[in-house]
Amino acid sequence: MSSSDGDDSTFSGTDSGPVLGSKPIEDGFSQLRVGDLANGSANDGDAAAAAAEGSGDGEGIAAEAGEVEDGGAARARAGETEIEEIGEARVMWRSNSEGEVEAQASPSSSGYAGERGSSSGGSGIGEEEDEIEEVRSDAVSDSQAAWMPGKRHVDEDDASISWRKRKKHFFILSHSGKPIYSRYGDEHKLAGFSATLQAIISFVENGGDRVKLVRAGKHQVVFLVKGPIYLVCISCTEEPYESLRGQLELIYGQMILILTKSVNRCFEKNPKFDMTPLLGGTDVVFSSLIHSFSWNPATFLHAYTCLPLAYATRQAAGAVLQDVADSGVLFAILMCKHKVVSLVGAQKASLHPDDMLLLANFVMSSESFRTSENFSPICLPRYNPMAFLYAYVHYLDVETYLMLLTTSSDAFYHLKDCRTRIETVLLKSNVLSEVQRSMLDGGMRVEDLPIDPLPRSGSLLPRLGQSRPLTDSQESLKEAYAGIGGPAGLWHFIYRSIYLDQYVASEFSPPFNTLRQQKRLYRAYQKMYASMHDKGIGAHKTQFRRDEHYVLLCWVTQDFELYAAFDPLADKASAIKTCNRVCQWVKDVENEIFLLGASPFSW
Amino acid sequence: MSQRKKVLLKVIILGDSGVGKTSLMNQYVNKKFSTSYKATIGADFLTKELLIDDRTVTLQLWDTAGQERFQSLGVAFYRGADCCVLVYDVTTPKSFDTLDSWRDEFLIQASPRDPESFPFVVLGNKTDVGEERRAVSAKKAGQWCQSNGKQMPYFETSAKDNLNVEQAFEVIARQALAQEESEDFGDGGFGGDVLDVNGMMERENSSCAC
Repeated sequence: MSSSDGDDSTFSGTDSGPVLGSKPIEDGFSQLRVGDLANGSANDGDAAAAAAEGSGDGEGIAAEAGEVEDGGAARARAGETEIEEIGEARVMWRSNSEGEVEAQASPSSSGYAGERGSSSGGSGIGEEEDEIEEVRSDAVSDSQAAWMPGKRHVDEDDASISWRKRKKHFFILSHSGKPIYSRYGDEHKLAGFSATLQAIISFVENGGDRVKLVRAGKHQVVFLVKGPIYLVCISCTEEPYESLRGQLELIYGQMILILTKSVNRCFEKNPKFDMTPLLGGTDVVFSSLIHSFSWNPATFLHAYTCLPLAYATRQAAGAVLQDVADSGVLFAILMCKHKVVSLVGAQKASLHPDDMLLLANFVMSSESFRTSENFSPICLPRYNPMAFLYAYVHYLDVETYLMLLTTSSDAFYHLKDCRTRIETVLLKSNVLSEVQRSMLDGGMRVEDLPIDPLPRSGSLLPRLGQSRPLTDSQESLKEAYAGIGGPAGLWHFIYRSIYLDQYVASEFSPPFNTLRQQKRLYRAYQKMYASMHDKGIGAHKTQFRRDEHYVLLCWVTQDFELYAAFDPLADKASAIKTCNRVCQWVKDVENEIFLLGASPFSW
Repeated sequence: MSQRKKVLLKVIILGDSGVGKTSLMNQYVNKKFSTSYKATIGADFLTKELLIDDRTVTLQLWDTAGQERFQSLGVAFYRGADCCVLVYDVTTPKSFDTLDSWRDEFLIQASPRDPESFPFVVLGNKTDVGEERRAVSAKKAGQWCQSNGKQMPYFETSAKDNLNVEQAFEVIARQALAQEESEDFGDGGFGGDVLDVNGMMERENSSCAC
């Protein structure tokens, strides 16, 4: 262990280290920048905000039940305040329903603050209570249930109280104000609302300016203009602006993946152009992407994750994919759900992690890919947003699918042959059964974090933590934390390798039993990621934050980023020690958790 | 049979302040009329769904402010309009005389692909006042509508008595729909020209210096 880094300026690794080898954070607390680590130093506000987010009543529950805002009378009042504030900001765009339109305005009326009449308060609260009950029962029944794909609440529009209470809206519209996509509600019924959004954006644009963010009470309205396409998120989830903007970028990318940027030409030719028919049937792709914002760390880490596999197994898969890539396939990707088994690119073509995320989302959310082999035009927005590629997609088993990307529109039969060859080899070399086993076994578990340094030849498979008798120190630590989590109260971690564009996240274990808790943790990580990458205040190296839910420790070096969650009572010094162990552990098993070598990435 | 795509049409309503644009919309969408005047600020937005020959059509109505000070909003508001409705007040000759400038302003700012065939519909509002207070004759209005190259449909309406409102908006929808369909046909749609595989290859060849 090196001790040369007592300097307080950095904890980052030096060039002497291997890919994952950064010097450990020194055990001694004194060696860490006290300023960075002190709870609430550069990020006082954030810490408070984190606490506030944490206590956000029922956010998680609501989320899985469609992100309906929880809240009784108190929240109703908050809602009114918010309407008033919006009213102020809306000076230029009065809603149609002033006094003369009564509370039960027709559903065709528009305007966020539409029904403000004195009578609407009472009936509103009544409906609200219905909504809450509905949410509660949903939340109880599906706190662990699978997410249902597809668009929900199509019957709503901007006059519905339930619609207004959704915690997170996403809209795509054209620069003439025609709706293209809305997460909730029917696009056509929201035409008036969509027009309002366009008017706001265009009005600011007319003044030679650009609207990025509007805060109205608890709500943030985030705007993203991509030529003739406008994207808007309205959220009261307290996610950072950068995160919401990143989500809008991904939604735009998903649209480009389906259509390419050539849609811009349609708008140049005809500003009235209505894009909705072109996106017919893709609601499910967008709703699945939006859902992944609350469970898939790839959406904010901009990295992909691999299925843990023995090194030789992954090599075998890579070798057969490489054969195919040499025969004119641009990219050959073998994935199991959202995890990569292996991937190979021709020549030096590089595949951006965001493209992989969007491609995998497209394939997994479209039911038709599961039933037959499929050949479909797709566009990789980060690779070339202007052009279609062709994707041959075939499921090898229920969860594992092969994607072969080519530039040639008549390559179907060739790719079909390639797939047959690949499938034969994968079956013969037991790769597919290994993949299935790995899915069952899961990945790294905090409980298995080795206390003592492992021999260099450490392996995740078979799991050492299970086969090895516990040492005394492990026993005592486990007792100290009543069997929850790993050593020193470690509950969860995400390790992102910067050079590999890959991350590994530990499996969820108690106390992250429910989707709600998992989502809250992801939001906390996401917030931390945003604060660590905030350009305004410079890159942070470390951050230690404690609130009533957990201790979060983040450590960024040139080589990796580590995000770890601990018991809220965890001791700071031992948490730091544990993070060093996690890094060592990741390094020891990197052959199995990452795709190394023969990588198609050009950096 | 595959269901026909739903259509959304953007309709801009223009005219001097006080001619009754907002009242016409409120009568049409909400079946309400109020005698008290409230100036529109910027623009109001309403949505109305209707059936035209078994086709579901959503009208996105942009009720704009008539005051001159709002005319700078034009470019932003008029872009991508499917139909423009010009409204004047039959008791106010000036509101009729300014129709020319409203139309010209719209064509300049919206710059539709084919200004000659862009659909306008003209509404003479407040016909409930009775002949004695009328200042613009139906004949005069009809002549103006014909003098503009393509014949503009003309309706005499009363937002107060709900006279001709429904009929006028149906014609507005039909005009916009006809325009939309003719252009859709000419467009050749989205497919075909976007499969730019050659461009892809060029890009690969040129950017492979990595």
